[in-house]
Amino acid sequence: MALTTAEQPSVRANRASGIPAKRRGSRRGRRSEAVAGYVFLSPWLLGLMAVTAVPMLLSLYISFTDYDILSPLSEVEWVGLDNYERMFTADPSYWRSVTVTVSFALIAVPLKLAVALGVALLLNRAWRGVGLFRGLFYLPSLIGGSVALAIVWVNMFNREGAFNGFLGLFGIEGKPWVNDPSWALETLMVLAIWQFGAPMVIFLAGLKQVPTELYEAASVDGAGRFRQFRSVTLPMLSPVIFFNLVLETINGFQGFTAAFVLSNGTGGPVDSTLMYTLNLYIKGFTDYEMGYASAMAWVFLLAIGIITAVFFTTGRFWVHYSDGDDS
Amino acid sequence: MHPGIRTHRRRLLRGLTAAAIAVPLVLGAAACGDDEGGGSSDPNAPVRLSVFYWGSEARAKLTEDALNAYKANHPNVEFEVTWQANQGYADKLATLAAGGDVPDLFALDDNMLADFATRNVTADLTEYKGSKLDVSKFPPSLVEYGQVDGKLVGISAGENTQGLVYNKTLLAKNGLPEPTTGQTWEQHIDWAAQVATKTKVPGTQDPSADYKAFWVWIRQQGKDLYSGKQLGFTEADLAAWFTLWKGARDKGATPTPDVIHEGNVTDISKQLVVTGKAATSWVWANQMPELKKNTKDELGVVAYPGDPSGQWARSSMYWSVARSSDKKDTAVDVINFLVNDQQAVNILGTDRGLPSNMDLRTAFANTVTDANMKLSIQVENDLAAKFGKAPQVPPKGHSTFRSELVKAAENVQFGKATPEKAAADLIAVVQPKLG
Repeated sequence: MALTTAEQPSVRANRASGIPAKRRGSRRGRRSEAVAGYVFLSPWLLGLMAVTAVPMLLSLYISFTDYDILSPLSEVEWVGLDNYERMFTADPSYWRSVTVTVSFALIAVPLKLAVALGVALLLNRAWRGVGLFRGLFYLPSLIGGSVALAIVWVNMFNREGAFNGFLGLFGIEGKPWVNDPSWALETLMVLAIWQFGAPMVIFLAGLKQVPTELYEAASVDGAGRFRQFRSVTLPMLSPVIFFNLVLETINGFQGFTAAFVLSNGTGGPVDSTLMYTLNLYIKGFTDYEMGYASAMAWVFLLAIGIITAVFFTTGRFWVHYSDGDDS
Repeated sequence: MHPGIRTHRRRLLRGLTAAAIAVPLVLGAAACGDDEGGGSSDPNAPVRLSVFYWGSEARAKLTEDALNAYKANHPNVEFEVTWQANQGYADKLATLAAGGDVPDLFALDDNMLADFATRNVTADLTEYKGSKLDVSKFPPSLVEYGQVDGKLVGISAGENTQGLVYNKTLLAKNGLPEPTTGQTWEQHIDWAAQVATKTKVPGTQDPSADYKAFWVWIRQQGKDLYSGKQLGFTEADLAAWFTLWKGARDKGATPTPDVIHEGNVTDISKQLVVTGKAATSWVWANQMPELKKNTKDELGVVAYPGDPSGQWARSSMYWSVARSSDKKDTAVDVINFLVNDQQAVNILGTDRGLPSNMDLRTAFANTVTDANMKLSIQVENDLAAKFGKAPQVPPKGHSTFRSELVKAAENVQFGKATPEKAAADLIAVVQPKLG
């Protein structure tokens, strides 16, 4: 994973800068290369068609119907844009879940990236045993979106949980974090932030790519630690930051497992953890409104597409791809 | 030609011919599969019957024993049993239905019955009634409670009714009186406040999010949860219910909102009465023995407050047959065995509720030795004389009502909405979903 990300920027850079790479062959050679590429891709492409594209198109169709998943598909009725209209005009729970999801992503994603970068900077040194720490910090991400982890979290953060026991040592009276609507979502955010391992590893790989000459030159010019970080590290790291930002934002929006486990699949207490995907699941499988749920899924896809597009457009102004990277 | 190749070729040809004949037959059969009783005419032909239900480890053991007892007399029947926890059961069944893969025989309760029946997942068993399926010994309300739109779609697997389970040991230790059947709601709340003051344990779980408690209360107001495909109560009724429990919270009779929430979402083994976070929990009377397994304290059970005629003999669970099943005869025969055979009834006990067959229920009750099971049977039998008329089976959309009630009640408990606002919001969301 780290390898692909590290290389991506340089490939993009070549294309963007318009410098003809030496390896680029003649036009004919390139075409036959492309054909070979597609041939090698074909098993994957066929799989994509069968297990992703067809169901997706089917769900697009379903989103214009009143399909309830129990009746046969042949009995559904076409309802046009009703599902979409209801979403935007007549379903308070929809907007509730949008609010929950956006606030989750807005807070958890930047904090997670900041923590990941901070830890990556600490671990990007030639200390003895630093490899062990890298492994330890990455560990929570390995058990990623697992149900077991969410259950542990719930038990740590309820009224009798370990966290309140810890606070008790300092004479602080804790709260019933997961069962309190003012804190349940925040508890989920902490869980997401704690799993900063994956972006951290990518940051580490990015940091290793920053040429040490730049730091040497900067320190010769009298730049301090902070100045070096701001003027060398951050710009050189910006493609990696960009990659992590896009990926984590998408992940953040799609958060489901922890919210499902914490709320027993209800989004409670009082809709405080009603993430978009959880709401979609409830609509489809508890309320038997698969048509509506499908419509929600398509709006979600569009929204994430737009957000990603915005990132890519604005990225032009702050993502710095270094030129002349021959590696 | 090598003999081996010849036979191989012949087999291939024969296979192709068979397929050419069989395919249209299968398609034809599938096309009219809905109307057929199904099953082969030979009663001894091997049958594989898929069975799906929810429950605990203990229930799985009992059910397996009962199905094995059936197999002892019907060695040709093989069961493919799948079971899981209650949470997610309806989702799973819906997914199976979407894939056209509904198990032959499966369990439902009144929260799901209408949803699945009106969408034709369940088979209409009316034609079996009286012949292969005997419901003549059932209380009439239990039979009616399995009918949706005039079709018999569920056979009651047991009877239960609402039961207020309280911690006897805690009350005795503090010299407090026990709750009684027939106490008013106000008396119960005052009693609970008294318990809280004396024991520091909240006297009762706040049941304002609990549809079955609201159901009893609204029936005592002369109304019902549903009237046909409409809600049977008004915004003011629901607001009054929320206000009643707001008063209880103000008196300190109930736990804090986060603990109430815990009780609302947890399963039976962690109800507040067994975790020690409240002295009383609102459950079904037949769940008492199960609750007892999770606590050392002695438990007692009475009816919900108010006039017990608000309660009724409820079918706790149903056995249903898939409309798409081609083994309906066998499935019905198994159901008939589970509810009408003394051996099966004795094995299953009160796990799914009191046995539906009254004769067998009496015979079974005489054999019971477990004190808690005895008590829950006795309480239900005592109540039987005071029961009111059973309500209609909840319509499609009932599951939405249940989840919205939890949401509305918790909004009030956490102080995020007034009783009136929460009630109005609920009705606006639920009413359009019924039908």
